[in-house]
Amino acid sequence: MRICKIFPGSGRFCLALVIFLLCGGRALAALPVYTITITDGVYSPASIEVPPRQRFKIIIKNTGKGPAEFENLSLRVEKVLAPEVESFVVIHPLKPGNYHFIDEFHLDMAGFSIMVTEPKN
Amino acid sequence: MQATLSTLFIVWRESIEALLVIGILYAWLKKHRLQAQIHRLWFGAALGLALAGGLAVVFFFAGHWFSGPGGEWFFAGMMILAALLIMQMIVWIHGHSHSLKTNLEQEAALTVSRSGGLGLMLVAMIAVAREGSETVIFLAGVGSQYQGTSLSLFTAGGVAGFILALLSFLILNRLASAVSWKWYFRSSEIVLLLIGGAMMVSACDKIADQLAAFDLPDWLFAFMGDPLWSTQGLLPDSAQLTSMLASLTGYRAQPSLMEVLALIIYWAAALWLSRRAGKNARLQQATIRQSDSGAKPGPGEARIRL
Repeated sequence: MRICKIFPGSGRFCLALVIFLLCGGRALAALPVYTITITDGVYSPASIEVPPRQRFKIIIKNTGKGPAEFENLSLRVEKVLAPEVESFVVIHPLKPGNYHFIDEFHLDMAGFSIMVTEPKN
Repeated sequence: MQATLSTLFIVWRESIEALLVIGILYAWLKKHRLQAQIHRLWFGAALGLALAGGLAVVFFFAGHWFSGPGGEWFFAGMMILAALLIMQMIVWIHGHSHSLKTNLEQEAALTVSRSGGLGLMLVAMIAVAREGSETVIFLAGVGSQYQGTSLSLFTAGGVAGFILALLSFLILNRLASAVSWKWYFRSSEIVLLLIGGAMMVSACDKIADQLAAFDLPDWLFAFMGDPLWSTQGLLPDSAQLTSMLASLTGYRAQPSLMEVLALIIYWAAALWLSRRAGKNARLQQATIRQSDSGAKPGPGEARIRL
């Protein structure tokens, strides 16, 4: 009530957002999908190669005994997964380069890399 | 040793934010002798601990919800609520700091219990629960890998991290109270706003991540994701220490338009609203002083001075 008074129109905006989420947003079918698993700190595969300037989705499965955290702070990815849990992150279009991810719960392990390379013609 | 140090650092990093929020509100309430409200602060912190434990249980037993869209939306909502409550708290403190100084403590105490009390409790609760649940999950997750000596080293790291956070908070507080109350008040207000703004930016990030899975127009993706500029070379936000800067202030090395706008709108709204509240309070105080001029201190004041 107080917040509505301070921010007039916030209620209407939230309502619009909810309606959009309920019926407006349909899942992006054309998005390239990569699936990786984390088993007690070991990523499989250890790296993937993706084309530059393209949005893509990574499905992460934690098949280990303990929790895992899929993390790259400069890409603002922090995904905590309980054992036997699967989730996804969508990565923004990237410039060519090497992007390294860690499992914050297994810092002594090698981690995971996304290699962004120009397609060879 | 490595494990002990990283545990120490993680616990320190996660505890300091909640300690800052609670410590600042505590100092403020104590300064204005609002003892009754301090209980609410502790109650909120205790509720936060319980909620953090509860969230950790949810993580291990309903992990799909926690790591999926449900959990992300829940945390985004919680952070937006906390950011707005912090703003409301600052606006409210601003409106009352004048009347409090001029012997109207009782009136102020009444107002606190009416409007500020619940917010106070919620802010303390969310501050503790948000960072606390992460810490509990981390400790449970990493701790389960250790046994024997390494487990006790790991536990020692966690405890030392919390003690270090408490110590650094006390040192900061001592340093801050060496300056005048006015400056202390100002700077703690800024710290609270920084934390609130950081929560707002993180919440926007979480929402953008969830929306990114849908088929959206390109301009919206650009708005949420394309960096406006890069200070990655100057001050990266991904190193251990600087990632703390990001979580305490909302700093991003490569911010998108969405992140920049979220921070600007949050700060502009907070400054404008607290200025307005301060002005109203001064006006009100002036009228009271006019009608009160020459009168002896009331019984209310005498009671509080005791």
